[in-house]
Amino acid sequence: RPYGGYEYPQQGGFVPPDMMQQQQPYTGQIYQPTQGYTPASAQSFYGSNFEDEPPLLEELGINFDHIWQKTLTVLHPLKVADGNIMNETDLAGPMVFCLAFGATLLLAGKIQFGYVYGISAIGCLGMFCLLNLMSMTGVSFGCVASVLGYCLLPMILLSSFAILFSLQGVMGIVLTAGIIGWCSFSASKIFISALAMEGQQLLVAYPCALLYGVFALISIF
Amino acid sequence: AASRTTYRWGRAGGGGAAGPGPAGADTVSAPAQGGGSAVIDMENMDDTSGSSFEDMGEMHQRMKEEEEEAEGEAGAGEEEDGEFLGMKGLRGQLGRQVADQMWQVGKRQASRAFSLYANIDILRPYFDVEPVQVRARLLESMIPVKMINFPQKIAGELYGPLMLVFTLVAILLHGMKTSDTIIREGTLMGTAIGTCFGYWLGVSSFMYFLAYLCNAQITMVQMLSLLGYGLFGHCITLLVTYNIHFHSLFYIFWLVVGGLSTLRMVAVLVSRTVGHTQRLILCGTLAALHMLFLLYLHFAYHKVVEGILDTLEGPNMPPFQRVARDIPVVSNAVLNTTAKAIALTL
Repeated sequence: RPYGGYEYPQQGGFVPPDMMQQQQPYTGQIYQPTQGYTPASAQSFYGSNFEDEPPLLEELGINFDHIWQKTLTVLHPLKVADGNIMNETDLAGPMVFCLAFGATLLLAGKIQFGYVYGISAIGCLGMFCLLNLMSMTGVSFGCVASVLGYCLLPMILLSSFAILFSLQGVMGIVLTAGIIGWCSFSASKIFISALAMEGQQLLVAYPCALLYGVFALISIF
Repeated sequence: AASRTTYRWGRAGGGGAAGPGPAGADTVSAPAQGGGSAVIDMENMDDTSGSSFEDMGEMHQRMKEEEEEAEGEAGAGEEEDGEFLGMKGLRGQLGRQVADQMWQVGKRQASRAFSLYANIDILRPYFDVEPVQVRARLLESMIPVKMINFPQKIAGELYGPLMLVFTLVAILLHGMKTSDTIIREGTLMGTAIGTCFGYWLGVSSFMYFLAYLCNAQITMVQMLSLLGYGLFGHCITLLVTYNIHFHSLFYIFWLVVGGLSTLRMVAVLVSRTVGHTQRLILCGTLAALHMLFLLYLHFAYHKVVEGILDTLEGPNMPPFQRVARDIPVVSNAVLNTTAKAIALTL
């Protein structure tokens, strides 16, 4: 295990083995970001040379290709999720999605960024506690926040629809129910594959559906 | 699985040199132990990109332990020297001790916080369920048992009740939003959560206390579970009656659905209590609280809609009596607005 004494089995998944051999110049402690996938995380190499510095996005750990892959996984509800994609906790994507959700609400005349962020935070905390209690291996808060944030994407479609049409009719209810189902199905699919909780997809999907239902309430009313 | 949640700094001391634990092979601590462990490269301390709380603590812990090891032997000698050296030695010593103590206090507080987190693991067995079991228990909660002569089994599970309470919160929120309820001192979400969780936890504790007084055979988790599943009837009733607004429909649902779930809870409690008076006290209290809660939820959270409906569709109200008179084709509204405009200009 590359992290000395660090007993987080759920974090351990994906650290490139070459990072360890490259640490020889130091006898002290090296920090690796727990979500470091890109080789830029071995920052011991990038000393003070300007030419040797990594590109900004790499240094920040924002990997657009991965963001795109995860987005596609969310958008295709029937596509089988790979358990490894959630090993790196990336909060850039979810932040963008929350902002986009708030922006589409703004276009509909509802200034509710505060509610979006508050409910996201409380919802993530609740799911974090629940998943830790229900799964054999634990889960980190970053992973939960990342998954829930990515699965907010269909809700953005709902709120953009609400800009033009009112959602309070029968069609609105049907559409809302469909979108909530889509979001919670994707989220539970990713959680199940990442945490290896077979046969409990419905039990994980239901709390997700409640959380996305609250977001949908914000969109409708 | 048992060692999964032990963190390094939850352990009392001595972890540094001994290695990370049973998980074994560890290439990072090897260089730390082998190569002059007291030397720590300060440049890397500031590299905080992507490091988390635990990383910082991890690093400090290791640094501290290595310092302790390195200075362990020389420590005794130094302290003696410090006393002889007078003020200068004392101040250096003092500074180090103060920093040391501050670190210890911080570490102790964090360990306490972590052990609080670890306590959540006590609840772990109550969340180990399958979807089939949850569905079966939901359906059973509406079926009163007939055998009250020997104690009925209560599933001590917290997933179902917790999800039912959250569902009730969601239904309440939906009801408040559709009826445009305005809460002045607080928020809609806070009110809904406070009401539902307050009922579940508060009434469970109260009933547990009464059960203790009446010598009933029931534990706190079982009481929470029983009452939680009893909220299933409330969820169904409110879901239907918040959307279809008929008074008589609500009363039918209140009696039938609410009554069935109350009967089930009462029957289970009766089977676990001995003595007529005790049974009466327990069951009377539970039935009253449960039914009254449903009544309260219905009437407190959508009376606005009721008011509108009464004025709009009351079939028992006498129709307005209109007197026919000659009015021009121009509509009343136009007439009124022109009249107002003229009045304003005058």
